[in-house]
This record gives sequence, structure tokens and C-alpha cells, in this order.
Amino acid sequence: MKKPIELTVNDELMQVEVEPQTTLLELIRDGLHLTGTKEGCGMGDCGTCIVLVDGKPVNSCLMLAADARGRSVTTIEGLAKGAELHPLQQSFIDQGAVQCGFCSPAMILSAKALLDEDPHPTEETIKRALSGVLCRCGSYKKIIAAVQAASPKES
Amino acid sequence: MKRLKPFAYREPKTLREAIRILVGEGPRAATLAGGTDLLVRMKQGVVTPSLLVNLKRIKGLDRIQRPKAGGLSIGTLSTIAALERSALVAKRYPVLAQAAGFLGSPSIRQLATLGGNVGRSSPAADMVPSLVVLKASVIAEGASGKREIPLDTFFKGPGQNALAPAEIITAIVVPDAAPSSGAAYVRLGRREGMDCALVGVAASLTLDGAGSVAEARLAMASCGPVPLRARGAEAFLSGGGLAEERLREAARLAAGETSPISDMRACADYRREMVEVLAYRALAAAVQTDRKAR
Repeated sequence: MKKPIELTVNDELMQVEVEPQTTLLELIRDGLHLTGTKEGCGMGDCGTCIVLVDGKPVNSCLMLAADARGRSVTTIEGLAKGAELHPLQQSFIDQGAVQCGFCSPAMILSAKALLDEDPHPTEETIKRALSGVLCRCGSYKKIIAAVQAASPKES
Repeated sequence: MKRLKPFAYREPKTLREAIRILVGEGPRAATLAGGTDLLVRMKQGVVTPSLLVNLKRIKGLDRIQRPKAGGLSIGTLSTIAALERSALVAKRYPVLAQAAGFLGSPSIRQLATLGGNVGRSSPAADMVPSLVVLKASVIAEGASGKREIPLDTFFKGPGQNALAPAEIITAIVVPDAAPSSGAAYVRLGRREGMDCALVGVAASLTLDGAGSVAEARLAMASCGPVPLRARGAEAFLSGGGLAEERLREAARLAAGETSPISDMRACADYRREMVEVLAYRALAAAVQTDRKAR
């Protein structure tokens, strides 16, 4: 039976109806047509479904949409400001950190959560923060470089 | 897309209501906390609960606090990420923050709960060995009231525990650590992120005034049907000093007290050898954390 929930997605407050078995991932892709969020394994192993909930990365395939009630969800579509890309998005392009691109939304969102908390992370910290996302192209080196390059410069 | 089959679903607002629903539904009901394990097994069709009782609308179950009587009380819905970040945990029980950092990945830790990690009762549970050496207990509530179950008698087999039907874990409580004591958790996986423990060993050492071991505790993950204690090694360490060869002998004894399985992650012989290596490292690290504390 569908139930209405209220939540914020990419800064927009909305009301949606969800079934108990609807995952946050299904709501985002099938309900809201925000297809930047990917489903890889659907079992919490690959991390490509990662979105930010209240600023922290979660596997949206393992979270019921009902539990997103009252929370703020950020998907990859929510990062750019109009035509201006988020510094991490631009950095991934500049560093060539994208091969097939399937893991990029999750990598970028995981990196955003990290940089929001720790603007100047060590390489080891970056690796730990990204450890929940698999890149089957093996672009890890460039992905790490892209996160380092996107770290705000000391002023 | 991997979908969950439709299920009956409730979001009780109080513990009492949750227990009443569970009693009414019978043994095929399941409680939902973080969902990182249950929802996977539901997608796989391994479990098919008749009713899912989501505990997350019950207020106060995610508190990490120090009760007036001392120690630490960790609400069942506390996430592993919250344990990793808690200043209270870092100050008094750094081994728990350390163990939290091994579980899954940052995004899994954001969802997964301590109550879920204990209640799932997997022999590989990363939080359990550290909780066992810290003498933690499970607080469970059911229709007939509240009770406390020492964690080292809680586990009954892979996925099985001492909870009665319709009983809910509400908190994990840990007593104050002895003044001169240290603890550490060391674990091995196939890779550093996103894998369950191939072997995990937690050690705690409490010293007497003369610098001898007053009490030692060693607990191991993925070494048998339940999280195991190495009681022989603990007894051997008691009353003696901290010389390297004594720690090594204790580690050798601990390896002999395991009954690991062979699976896709490792064979039993390899696991047993790694217990010896890890138990020594955990003991040596426990000595270090004690020295730092003083």
C-alpha cells in the first residue's frame, strides 16, 4: 500500500508516494527519473548507488524510501549550479578520471562528503573514503588525483 | 533492478508497540534496523519475513551515553559510523572505534547499526570481539520485561542467539574498563574495504600493581560457529608478565582453540595460522594502548 512521504531531493522539498518495499534507489531512478544514480549489484557491495543523505554517503539500494522521510537527499544531479559544474565534477573531467563513468556519480558524491568534512585529506584518507565504490575500469589512480586536485587551495 | 518482494510493514513509535506487534505476528516477523544485512538477504530470497517491523521511528534507541552508574550504553540503532566518530567512545573505549572502522565501507557504516551487527549473530561480526573483551552485555526487552544477557553467552550458532521470540535488543552496555588496562582489535580481510573478517582478534589486558597480568581476554571472529573466546590463552596469560615470548605462546594457544571453516575467503588451516599472527599483534597492541593511557 502506497504511503505519502515528504523529503528533500537536491534542495527541493517534495511529497512522493512509496510502497514499503520501495528502496531509495528505486524512488530516485524510477520515481524521480534521476538516473545518474546507478544500480550495480543491488546488494550493497559495489557502491555505485551511493547518494548523500543529510550530507553522508549511503547505499541507496539498501535503504527503504520510507526511511528517507524528512531527510535531505543529494544525488549527482544536485551538484552543478546551473551550467557551472561542481569543482569535483570539473576535476574528474580535467584529470581524465572517468572511463566508462558508471562509478563516477558515487565516487564524486563520496568525495564530496569527505571534502565537506576534511578539505585537505591525505591520500590514505581519500582511499578509505572511496573504499565502498568499485571502479571496474580500474581508474582509481586518476580518481584519487582528481579528488586531490579538487581539494580547496590554502589561501 | 534487484527489487524487494512486497511485504507487510509497520513503523511502531514505541518499544511497547513494537513488542506487541512482534508477539501478535509470531516467529516469521523480522525487525528492521540498518537493513544492510536483512534487506540483502530478503533480496536474495534467503529470508522471507511475513512482516517487517521498522524500529527507526522509536525515539531514543540511537543514543550513545554514559549512564550515571558508569560504563557506556550504546542504543541498538546507533550506527557504526556514529561509534567511529563518537568522542565518548574514542576517549573511553578506543577499541570500539577501531573495530567500527573495519566494518564494511563508509556508506555501509552510515546505515548499519550496532544492534544489527550483534543481533545478526554472524561469527564474522566485526564489532563483537571487541565488545566481548570489554565484557559487554545485551539489553533485551520483550513481553515479559527487560533482561541483561552477557555477550559471551549470547551467541548460540551461526545466526542464532539467546533472544526469545519477540524480544528486541534495545542497547549494548559496556562496564568501565579497569584503570590499568588496554585493548585492541586486529583483523584480516581479502581486501581492506568491503569484506567481512577472514579472521579478527580482539585482546584486552588488565595489569595489577606489580605490572603482571591481572586479567586477559581474547575474542575471535570467523574462528568457529560463534564468536569465540580463547580461554586457554587467557588463563595462560593471567598472573604472568608481558614478555614477548609469553604473548607469542598465548597466541599459539589461541590458534589451537579455534575451529574455523574453509570457505571461499580462506581455508581453515590458513585461518588458524593467521589467528596466531593476529592474536600476537592484538596483545602487543593492547600493551601499547595501556602504556599510552598511563
